[in-house]
Amino acid sequence: MIAGRGRSKIRPPRRGIHGGEEIDFEQTWKIIASAFNEIHTKNASKLSYEELYRHAYRIVLKKKGEDLYKRVRDFEHDWLTTQVRLRIQDLLSPNLLISSQAIGGTTTNERRFAGEKFMKGLKDAYMDHHVCMGMLADVLMYMDRVYCQDTHRLSIYNSAMILFRDDILNAFSQDGDSISVLELLNHVILEQIRMERDGDVIDKHMIKDCVYMLEGLYEGQMDTAESRLYVASFEGSFLETSRDFYRAESELLLRESDAGAYCRHTRRRIVEEQDRCRSTLAESTTPKIEKVVEDELIKNRIRELIEMESGVRFMIDNDRMEELSLVYELNARVDPKKTELMRAMQKRVVEMGTEVNNAAIAASQAPPPSEGADKGKGPALEKSLNQQTVAAIKWVEDVLQLKDKFDLIWKNAFNSDNALQTALTRSFADFINASSFPRSSEYISLFIDENMKKGIRGKTENEIDMVLEKAIVLLRYVQDKDLFERYYKKHLCRRLLMNKSISNDVEKQMISRMKIELGNNFTMKLEAMFKDMTISEELTSGYKGHVAQLGDADPKRIELAINVLTSMTWPLESMGGSGDEEGKTLKCIFPPAIDRIKRGFEKYYGEKHSGRQLTWLAAMGSADVRAVFPKVPGKEGTQKERRHELNVSTYGMVILLLFNEVSADVSLTFEDIQAQTNIPVSDLVRNLQSLAVAPKTRILVKEPMSKDVKPTDRFSFNAGFMGKFHRIKVGVVSNGNKVESDRERKETEKKNDDSRGFCIEAAVVRIMKQRKELSHQQLVAETLNQLAPQFKPEVTMIKKRIESLIEREYLERIEGAKVDSYRYLA
Amino acid sequence: MVNKHEIEAALHAESQAISAGRLKEDNPLDLSDDFRIFCEACRRGDLKICQELIMKGVNINARDRFDYTPLILASLCGQFEVAQLLLESGALCERDTFQGERCLYNALNDRIRNLLLSYDYAKSTDPLQPLAAHITSLLTRDHPKTTDITLVTPTESFRLHKFVLSARSPYFAKKLATAPDTTSWKLSNSIPTESLHLALRYLYFSEVSADLGDGEEEQIILTGIDKISRQLEIERMFESILESGDRRLTRQRRTDEVNRGRDQLNEWFQNNVMKNKIVVDTEKAHDVHWDRNNGIFADVLLRADDEPQEETQVEIQPQDPLVRTTSGPLNGIPIGPLAKSRSPSRHRSPQKSTLYPVHRAMLLRSEYFLTMFSSSFREAQETQHLQIIKLDCTPAVLEVILTFLYTERADFGLDVAIDVLFMADLLFIEKLKQRAAMIISTLGNGSTSAVESENPRGATDAENALDVYEVVRAGWDTRVHRLEEFGARYIAYRLERYIDEEEFAELVRESANRIKARQETDTVELIDDIRYYLSDRFRLRFEDSGLEEMMEENINEDPAELPEPLPEDEGVDISSNSPPKQTTDEFLFPDIESQLRGGAVRTLDGEVAGDEFAQDAMNYQILLGKIDALLARLELDA
Repeated sequence: MIAGRGRSKIRPPRRGIHGGEEIDFEQTWKIIASAFNEIHTKNASKLSYEELYRHAYRIVLKKKGEDLYKRVRDFEHDWLTTQVRLRIQDLLSPNLLISSQAIGGTTTNERRFAGEKFMKGLKDAYMDHHVCMGMLADVLMYMDRVYCQDTHRLSIYNSAMILFRDDILNAFSQDGDSISVLELLNHVILEQIRMERDGDVIDKHMIKDCVYMLEGLYEGQMDTAESRLYVASFEGSFLETSRDFYRAESELLLRESDAGAYCRHTRRRIVEEQDRCRSTLAESTTPKIEKVVEDELIKNRIRELIEMESGVRFMIDNDRMEELSLVYELNARVDPKKTELMRAMQKRVVEMGTEVNNAAIAASQAPPPSEGADKGKGPALEKSLNQQTVAAIKWVEDVLQLKDKFDLIWKNAFNSDNALQTALTRSFADFINASSFPRSSEYISLFIDENMKKGIRGKTENEIDMVLEKAIVLLRYVQDKDLFERYYKKHLCRRLLMNKSISNDVEKQMISRMKIELGNNFTMKLEAMFKDMTISEELTSGYKGHVAQLGDADPKRIELAINVLTSMTWPLESMGGSGDEEGKTLKCIFPPAIDRIKRGFEKYYGEKHSGRQLTWLAAMGSADVRAVFPKVPGKEGTQKERRHELNVSTYGMVILLLFNEVSADVSLTFEDIQAQTNIPVSDLVRNLQSLAVAPKTRILVKEPMSKDVKPTDRFSFNAGFMGKFHRIKVGVVSNGNKVESDRERKETEKKNDDSRGFCIEAAVVRIMKQRKELSHQQLVAETLNQLAPQFKPEVTMIKKRIESLIEREYLERIEGAKVDSYRYLA
Repeated sequence: MVNKHEIEAALHAESQAISAGRLKEDNPLDLSDDFRIFCEACRRGDLKICQELIMKGVNINARDRFDYTPLILASLCGQFEVAQLLLESGALCERDTFQGERCLYNALNDRIRNLLLSYDYAKSTDPLQPLAAHITSLLTRDHPKTTDITLVTPTESFRLHKFVLSARSPYFAKKLATAPDTTSWKLSNSIPTESLHLALRYLYFSEVSADLGDGEEEQIILTGIDKISRQLEIERMFESILESGDRRLTRQRRTDEVNRGRDQLNEWFQNNVMKNKIVVDTEKAHDVHWDRNNGIFADVLLRADDEPQEETQVEIQPQDPLVRTTSGPLNGIPIGPLAKSRSPSRHRSPQKSTLYPVHRAMLLRSEYFLTMFSSSFREAQETQHLQIIKLDCTPAVLEVILTFLYTERADFGLDVAIDVLFMADLLFIEKLKQRAAMIISTLGNGSTSAVESENPRGATDAENALDVYEVVRAGWDTRVHRLEEFGARYIAYRLERYIDEEEFAELVRESANRIKARQETDTVELIDDIRYYLSDRFRLRFEDSGLEEMMEENINEDPAELPEPLPEDEGVDISSNSPPKQTTDEFLFPDIESQLRGGAVRTLDGEVAGDEFAQDAMNYQILLGKIDALLARLELDA
């Protein structure tokens, strides 16, 4: 037992608070009600919180919470209906009501004042209610905590807010009127916004306060974000009126202003609406109203906008970057793919590209070729070919310019958008590969050729890089890579053999770029050509050493520089111009001095590489000849021998050496020369032309003097030749890389088609070897797929190749298969 | 997993640290008599003694000669209520400590184990934490305004509370004692603002960390702190910032700091607030005027009236002159002209009121005052003289409340417990409410201090004057379930006394109505509880004597008449074959007749059997029968 137990005993609670004495509910309520009255009339500062709280507390403790709750609600309901509603109704001026019925009988100003007064009244009423209810809730805190929580009722504050909604906002604005205060408020706010859109200044704070009120009230019993009165009642109609407004505005604008102004206006509107949501309405509306503006001003109009006279086409043509970027921005807002803009842009690219194509064709055809009259070697044709070359380079430059232009637009206005870049690439590829313009490969190759020969002279490394990059960019667009390869090889071949290339390094750079871009296969042969060149250099010096070792120091010795070319990799057939068949069978007869060297080298080469046969391509060589012209009286009366160093083609040298044999005044006929040298006729003609006809290099005299060379013409040494320079280059006509004539083109294409045929066959065989059996459809698809990096074969061609393979018994048709199918025969 | 040798090493390191004085022992050895009795009570589950000793100040985390702490004992012996009481009173049960794991592993059943786990230190907070947090929050609280002094530095100004400063810093105490109406205080420029900020946070009970930036900056701040802590005479602060060790050490220091701070505040509270209370006649209480500038920086007066019907001499009257003599710090405060007229010579003394000068800043801990001072009612307004706010309770109750608000201490007697309960409910001080409920339910067993199970026959003192009806009703009114349970238990153990009272029937009806107000179920909570405790009461008896066969016989005598209501928890297993509780209602009802007859049989058999146990069994039946009869009369089970 613990000492002192029982000393403290529990006492019943004091009578004063909890005792059996019943408190007089009515009496207490009277006190509370009169206090509420004071609160509503803003005399609360005299009231004692402690006292009011105590009264409310006791009522709740006495289980009268239900009654109290009801009384408070009734009290508020009473107050709102008798006091506040009247005040609100007083605010309703006729102006306001009239405007709400959409009769524009009053001036804007009057309506605005009426609206502002109304809003202010309503706002004040709400704020009063809000403050009073806050105080009431403070006093009734015990009821809220105990009674309302036990019985799952709304707190008195929320409940009073519902009362406000029902008794004030949902009440009819005037007896017998059918518009509720809430609707009226919505209407007034909408009208104010309309005024602001029209450029008036309105009281934003006031509206914001009203919106704040609407946000604080809920439609149903539940406090969810969606049921806020603002969302439930106001926002919808706001969006609806905005939609109407912008629909009308967009129509007007499209009619009356240009595309740039339209875009600027649209953007301004969007910013305005964002600002409005921030300053006047609620942030949560921002995305919704943005959508409305976007729908009405952009989405539904973007097509019209882009296709306007002052639309995208106009902007592109006039480099209106700012406007283009606006269009881009607007289009991106409504459509992440920017379909409309893309379409317009692609269309424009193809249009402009086609223009460039057409210009090139026109330029190349400007002087009507007189092929009918000529045999195809006339200077007119030469000229036209030159012109075509110029056109080709111009074409390339135009395309590049076009590309630069669109790149700039893409970068500045289109925010470097990826989708648009691919679209651009596709459009460029479209017009560059257009079937109406089959020369792009050749032109690009020519462009490179031109730059390799002349263009890059005196340029810095960076500039050269840029040129190369441009070429590669264009090359990317080209579909038929094999055709390009053919041309490039041909042009490269000339550059190498004729030593036309300015820088070997740049050539190699180009090759390596192509390697990166198009792969190893593509450049293998080109590299082999370079390799041949270096080997040849070694051979030449090796031979020189060999000759020096032989020791017969012949002062008149002829120096030999030789290029040994692998016949498979070099496009030799295209080198000799026409008449190749002839040229191959007929071997040029060299003069004995030359022939000796030739044989000497053959021997040397044979020792080094046994089993190889050398074919001499005289048509492609050149020679330096030292010539001595007899003394003739000069203009100043000086008489001296003139020594010239003549750089002529190998054929030219052979011809000139003929005249060494004969005396100065003897003339040889064309046929004589032909018979003695065995030079192919066409080459002979060209060489004679350059030696005897061209005014600056007239080393031979032709009789009769005319431009054309005829078999009957006679030639003699021109002893009176005058040259300004010590070294004279005798150019052979049609020696450079030029645009092919149509006939050449056809030949090239034919050759190309042949080689494509082999490629296709190889591909088909590869595929079939792997699959053994395959349907026709699949085979074609796979073949196309496999050849895509090289070129795009036509399906008919594939069919033909398959036929031919079947004929040659590589494949056979599978009999009785449902779809056409083939089997590989090993 | 930690290996055994690692645990041993850790234990060794800990004991080293303790013996070196670096670490305070969590569970110091305590050989005092009080503690022995305390441990004994924990074993037996005697809530009353436990509560009394806790209030007396026994260290509940100490250990006895056998290395047992009270919590381990309670947990081992399965005393759920005691364990709960201990945990609520601050007994530690921390996982990953030796003693903590001992508690957990020793727990008699899962119910206790879960209880212990739910009080794991990591989750529970320091009992003083709410107080500390509140005072810290005062630093940043703007509304309602409670600050009365501004501390200005070149870059910032801090708005502070004089009473906190003066309670916490001897320097301020002195300064403010000489010039209580100072409203601003300037700091010398040489002390960085950051240091001052830290010092203030320290004064306001916040945890100050040593994370002060790096290098030079830290050095400057530390120098500043050193300087300011010496100026303000709060040298301990510097130590607590510098020393940061392991988790346990930090926590211990933090606890110490808060405790010390609380003690300072308490001392200040006792010396200033409590000593300056004024007793006046109630009708003249309004005329008491206190200036806003007063020596104890109070900004509001709380008034509590004595009970009106008390005709006897007001007992606090002798204190009256004391109030005036101790007004040392009250220089120049006009207590009002009435102080003199309040002469003790008056014979039939009128009702007296007591006024307490207090600080809003502390009152804000109650939501009631928070709302009051934030509102725009009269109480929140600034007036020339301090507002007098009446609280509807006796001075004693108000003192309990104030003590709790200022110091987090809540030790009070049973006599005011119910009043405190109601006031705490009114003022929304949840913790005090729980505390009051705990005191009632632990001390409320009146003079039957012995464990109830030893008093199966419900023998009660005639003096026992606990108005259990009031307690249960108070529990309902203030929504403290614990009190209802306590009431049910209390009644169950004394059912013989209450069962026939009309007021008991009334209480049952109220209970039933409460339930019906919520949802449509047929059970009456109070009756269910009583049944449960009744079965507990008798069952324990039977179980103790280990004579279940005897019970078996008894049951056989009255087959189907002993369907014991199934106890709710898993700790009990003897009635595993009885029908589930849900069915008891229907089940019991038709048996009333026979049970009543059982009551009749008892008088007959009483002489024959003469056996205590048999008598118990029969008493049990009779009581159950009476309950059912009562229910039938109230038409509650229908």
